[in-house]
Amino acid sequence: MRVYLSLLKKELKSISREKTIIFAIIIQFLIASLSSVILSGILAFYDPVALVENVRFTPRVGYVGDIDSPLVEYLRSNRIVVRPFTEVTTAEAAFRARRLDAIILVPESHSDTVDMRLILPKMETMRIFMLVMLDEPLKKYENYLRENNGIQVSYQDAEGKPHSTYEILYAVIVPILMLFPALVAGSIVIDTVSEEFENKTFETLMSTPVSAGKVFAAKIFVAVITAIMQMVMWVGLLKVNGIAIYNPVHLLTASVIFATTIAFGAAAIALFFKDRERSQFVYSMTLIIIAVGTYLLNLSPISLLTRLSAGVQGVGILEIALCTIPLMVIAIVFLNISHRLMLARR
Amino acid sequence: MKKILTISKWELTRIRVRFGGRSGFIILAIILLAIGAAYLAYQHGMVISKGIYTLGISFDGPVVSDQRFQVIRLEPDLGHVMLSKGALDVYLDRDRIISRDDERSQYTTGALKEYLERQELLRIAEQYDLNRAFPLRIEVSSLEARDGDLSIEPGHQTPLVDETEEFTPAPVLTPKLPEISEPIPPRAESTEASIREQLDKWQVGGLSGMKESFLSEGEIVIPSLMPPVIPLAHVMFSFLFVLPILFTSVFFAASLTEERLSRKLVVLLSTPVSPLQVILGKMLPYVVCSLAVIMAITIVLKSNLLLSIAIFLPVTLFIFSAYLILALTYRTFKDQTFLSILVLSAITAYLVIPALLVGVSDLSYISPLTLVVEMLRGEIVTANQYLLATIPLFLLFLITVFIGTRVFNEEYLSSFKPLHIKAVEMLQLAVNINHLNISAFLSSIFLLPAVFMIELALVVLVSNMPMLMALWILVILSATIEEIAKSASIVGLLHSGAIRTRIKLARLATLSALGFFSGEKLFLFLALGVLTESTHLSAIFGAGLLIMPLVLHVVSTGTVCLITERLGGKYYPLALAMGTTIHAAYNIFMIRTFL
Repeated sequence: MRVYLSLLKKELKSISREKTIIFAIIIQFLIASLSSVILSGILAFYDPVALVENVRFTPRVGYVGDIDSPLVEYLRSNRIVVRPFTEVTTAEAAFRARRLDAIILVPESHSDTVDMRLILPKMETMRIFMLVMLDEPLKKYENYLRENNGIQVSYQDAEGKPHSTYEILYAVIVPILMLFPALVAGSIVIDTVSEEFENKTFETLMSTPVSAGKVFAAKIFVAVITAIMQMVMWVGLLKVNGIAIYNPVHLLTASVIFATTIAFGAAAIALFFKDRERSQFVYSMTLIIIAVGTYLLNLSPISLLTRLSAGVQGVGILEIALCTIPLMVIAIVFLNISHRLMLARR
Repeated sequence: MKKILTISKWELTRIRVRFGGRSGFIILAIILLAIGAAYLAYQHGMVISKGIYTLGISFDGPVVSDQRFQVIRLEPDLGHVMLSKGALDVYLDRDRIISRDDERSQYTTGALKEYLERQELLRIAEQYDLNRAFPLRIEVSSLEARDGDLSIEPGHQTPLVDETEEFTPAPVLTPKLPEISEPIPPRAESTEASIREQLDKWQVGGLSGMKESFLSEGEIVIPSLMPPVIPLAHVMFSFLFVLPILFTSVFFAASLTEERLSRKLVVLLSTPVSPLQVILGKMLPYVVCSLAVIMAITIVLKSNLLLSIAIFLPVTLFIFSAYLILALTYRTFKDQTFLSILVLSAITAYLVIPALLVGVSDLSYISPLTLVVEMLRGEIVTANQYLLATIPLFLLFLITVFIGTRVFNEEYLSSFKPLHIKAVEMLQLAVNINHLNISAFLSSIFLLPAVFMIELALVVLVSNMPMLMALWILVILSATIEEIAKSASIVGLLHSGAIRTRIKLARLATLSALGFFSGEKLFLFLALGVLTESTHLSAIFGAGLLIMPLVLHVVSTGTVCLITERLGGKYYPLALAMGTTIHAAYNIFMIRTFL
């Protein structure tokens, strides 16, 4: 045990001594947090509610046509100011004088269809703003016309929130934040293991009364610790930003299990190839295969992290416990063959 | 050229030997497996948020076959109980969506509504004829307003387009404006064809919809078939092109580091090849490989091949130059892993974030990915936009290769010193001791593309912060970066003891400031061809008279250099703080009306 502790100490020291590494983690952390702030800011631009409330954007639409049309009501209920005009030319003049942001022309129609005209500003920003604002009222009006044509459209009255931000957050951002440190941990293990071979320091290490398994276990342990530190930091940061992580403990446990599994795998690869270049290459390729393979088999770790963080019902301890199986297998196999792998020449 | 090719060939042989042999089979098998996996994923289609929503449906309810939903069939009574207990996110009672008030339930409702609406639309399109199913047709045209203020009013949050911005005067009421007062001529057939086309595209969904230009003039749109406005998918997709570049560049860096640490590079130096030939020769196979992958992706997507290469060549060179510098400086592999991750996140942020602003702000053109988004949408990229996005990248590549050749000597390549010392040494070596004046002048010009890129990225970063905070951050950070750029090479020279007298130091500081100033004007000229002049930009570039900014640069650079000389290199941060204070004070004075 004491030997093991001193090995751990040595490895931990070598990481903490590297100011650049700590520095790099902090900068990476800053970049990522800034990026997420910006991303949410950018997403707000495509959300009509956010546009009206945060930017206080009150679009004004000139309307040429029947003022009693339900379209006018739909527009107004979406917080758009509707100004009726009888002539297109006067509406255009108001538009040019910047008293309007768009013009809608609805000619009288006696057929099934309505051919409407929408005049938008030339500037792309304003066009996008207006399209975001007009999207819902226009769709409602379209459904109204469909009903006039005798087509019943269901599910119109449901409300709900735009879900893309929610899906991106739990299905992309959280898994990336949790798996990234795990991938880096694997990479570090490869570095430290192959470094011993390339610098030929391994033979010296072998002459001491320390078993190979213990040396590798210490390396893996330290890499996993740095990963845990980053993961905890990310969960904390998400919390500070007001993003709800439903099962933080479960999420962290699962992520740590993945990180450890990856670290063991990486160590095995590095021991097999004994040089950094090939090991890193095979390591990244293997990760791709595992990511896709588990996805196709419906066993994706990414999906588990998504469902844990989003608090999906019925996902919990059992799933996490299942994840320990591959970890145990790889750990047992590794500890048994590491000595042989190490001695084999490549 | 011949020598470069020889080195490339040698590098290829090295890769072959390394990845060949007995373990070669294993590696080959793994590569094939990875390609197969990627192909399967492509065929299968990836649903990123599998099983994220839990949905209960009554037995007479519709079929929901979307992998995002975990569907449980159950009776309404039980459904309501489970919903209120939180065991379901939403319950669908025949055609009624029942939800709770909390966020998760509301998001689920949003997603379910979108899915069901799509199913409804598919049903309607199939059951009824086009005119009845899609009764509302909108012809979109545009009109130019007179210049003046935007209608956006100041709110709690500063919008990306700040209200204080002055827009370039638009031509007022040119006779070319579309005549819109005329009644619409009946165009039943073409309208029908257009709806059919939109419907087909909508049914296929995904990427095929991306190829169409976004709302062109006179286009007929159907509200329910309108593609989403948000460019997220486009941007993520365009980032797909960058991944192979990042992947290969990491291996380029690894190979270079390995040869540096095993001293093989030093052996190469004793042969009649120049450092430039070594660098380019070693880089060439990897660059060619990344470009080949990009071409393959472009061909698969049936996009514009020439444009794609024109955009990605500078991106590739830029990424490789970042990794070249890393490979020449870091000391251990652990360093390399961390620093390359850092570089990776910085490059990703620099490329992706501005591109998300496509259409919302012309600042998006600082990232070449914006050009890719435009390319995927089938829109035209103007020469100005192309130059703004790529010239800094090309220049950065040239400068990095230049620095790379200067530090390519035995002493530098095999020394293990702290990173900041290595950086200072790098600058020292880049400067030609025999022509100090010209070197000082050119060195700050050389660092300009990097400064320019960082500053524009900063503008994007602060663009949705409150105006006041954004301006303060911009002024202080950009002043710091500029002071570093102007003083770095001189401090490097001080460190090596090449500058003896204070007069010489002052002269070099002045020349460096002058170089920076002239380069800055040139870049600003390029930028303003694409970007609209804004408060944010003037916070950085401190608009004003020509002579004042020059004086400012000279004074601030002089301050930094003289303090460093007086107190020693250890106090460089203090000297930098002093110079920055002077510089920032001037810029704050220039934009005082906004603060």
